[in-house]
Parts: sequence; C-alpha cells; structure tokens
Amino acid sequence: MYHINKIFALALIILLTGCSIGGEKKIKIFSVEEPRQKLDYPMPTALQLEELKWIIITSENAQEVFAKLEAAGIDPVLFGITDKDYQVLARNFAQIRQKLQETNNLLEEYKKYYEPEEKK
Amino acid sequence: MIVVLLMAGIGGAGIYVMKLRSDNAILKANQHKLETAITEQNKVLEQQKEDFTAILESNKKLNVLINTFKKDLQDLDKRFTKKNRDIGKLAIDRTKAIERIINKGGVNAARCIELASGAKHTEPELKATLKSEINPECPALANPNYVPYQ
Repeated sequence: MYHINKIFALALIILLTGCSIGGEKKIKIFSVEEPRQKLDYPMPTALQLEELKWIIITSENAQEVFAKLEAAGIDPVLFGITDKDYQVLARNFAQIRQKLQETNNLLEEYKKYYEPEEKK
Repeated sequence: MIVVLLMAGIGGAGIYVMKLRSDNAILKANQHKLETAITEQNKVLEQQKEDFTAILESNKKLNVLINTFKKDLQDLDKRFTKKNRDIGKLAIDRTKAIERIINKGGVNAARCIELASGAKHTEPELKATLKSEINPECPALANPNYVPYQ
C-alpha cells in the first residue's frame, strides 16, 4: 500500500507539472509615447522703419544746402559719405536684409516641420 | 494499481488539453500583437517618407532663396556700374534728380527690410506685374507676382 501511494503521488506530480515546462512565451510590446509640448512662439513682429532723407552736397551747391538747413532751423551740419561708400552702404544694407529674410525663412521652415498645424 | 494509472492518464489528458487551449489563446494574442506592430511600423515608414519629402521641398525652397539673393546683389551692383556709370559724376551733373532717385531707393530699401522681417504685403505690391510698378530693390521679395522680362 505504501508503494502504491508513492507511485500515485509521483504520477500525480508528473501529470501536473510535466506539460507546463517550456510552454509558449507571451510577447510584450511596450509603446510609451508622450509628445513634447509645442513651443508655439509667435513669429517676430515685423519692423516699421522711419523714413530718412538723403541730401547730395557738391562743391557747387554746398552753400545753398547749408543756407536751406539754417532757414529750416536745422543745425547746418551733414554727416557725409563718398559716392563709393554710398555703394558700399547700399550693398551692406542689402546683405543685412537678405540675412534677415533667410533667418525668418529658416524659422518658418523649422516651425512648419516641427510644429505642423493639426490636421482636421 | 491499473485503475489508479488509468485515472491518472485521463486526468493528465484533461490537463494537457487545457494546456493546449491556453497555448492557443496565447498564440492568438501574439498574432494580434504582431499584426498591430506591423501596422504601426507601416505608419512609421509612411511618416518617414512624408518627412523626407518635406525636407527636400524645404531645401529646394531655401536654395531658390539663396540664388535670388545672389541675383539681387548682382542687380544692385549693375545699377551702380551699368554702362560705366559713375554715380558720383552723375550726382555732380544732375544733383536734384539723383537726390530724388536716391531718396526713392532709400524708401524702397527700407520697405524691403520691413518685408524681410515679416511685414505683410500691400495690395499694390501683390498686384504689381509691370516693371514700373515693382520695388526694384527686392522684386522677388516685394512683388511675388512679377515675372522679370527675359
């Protein structure tokens, strides 16, 4: 009787555990996605430049120009540049304007790429 | 003894069937997860494709812009030196006319800077199609509808 019990117990253990060894494994897929908050800065405010007046002064009209300035109550003094330097100034301003445009354009492109408007 | 073995056999078979059913359920769940993963991967690939297209498009736009800049600077140089023009001599000979031209140029150049900084175009700027209507300091920027004569 003692042997029968032993055999019975052994058989039962084998039956209960035998098939569970090496069973199928479950696949676990983790997908955690938390998008960054949008920076969403408004585009920089556009410039509003003030108008300035150029006065051309030559050896011939110098006296007339200064007289007009005095008559208008403006200090009779002018800050001058030569014709060559005027060309340099024009080129410099053109380059500044181009850099401004390029930077603004890059900003727009970055905004469009990284912060596109939500599709409705 | 035989009865015990028989019962154990039947019990074992039952447990084995239950185990098979459980495995089947797991395999089905795995299959579903794999299919979902494939769909997600396809979505990622699609998004990457869209991103590459957007990057190419953006690069193209910026290259066009850089070329426009070069042309604008060349045009500016041309205006000062066209046909051996000497703006200094011209200013001595026709002081008032050149003063007027330079002041108008200054106003145009200032408007170009405003537009470059993001100012909105005015109606006349948008409608300009003739050379007499454009801002010659930066036609590509100020007058998007103007097509230069060839």
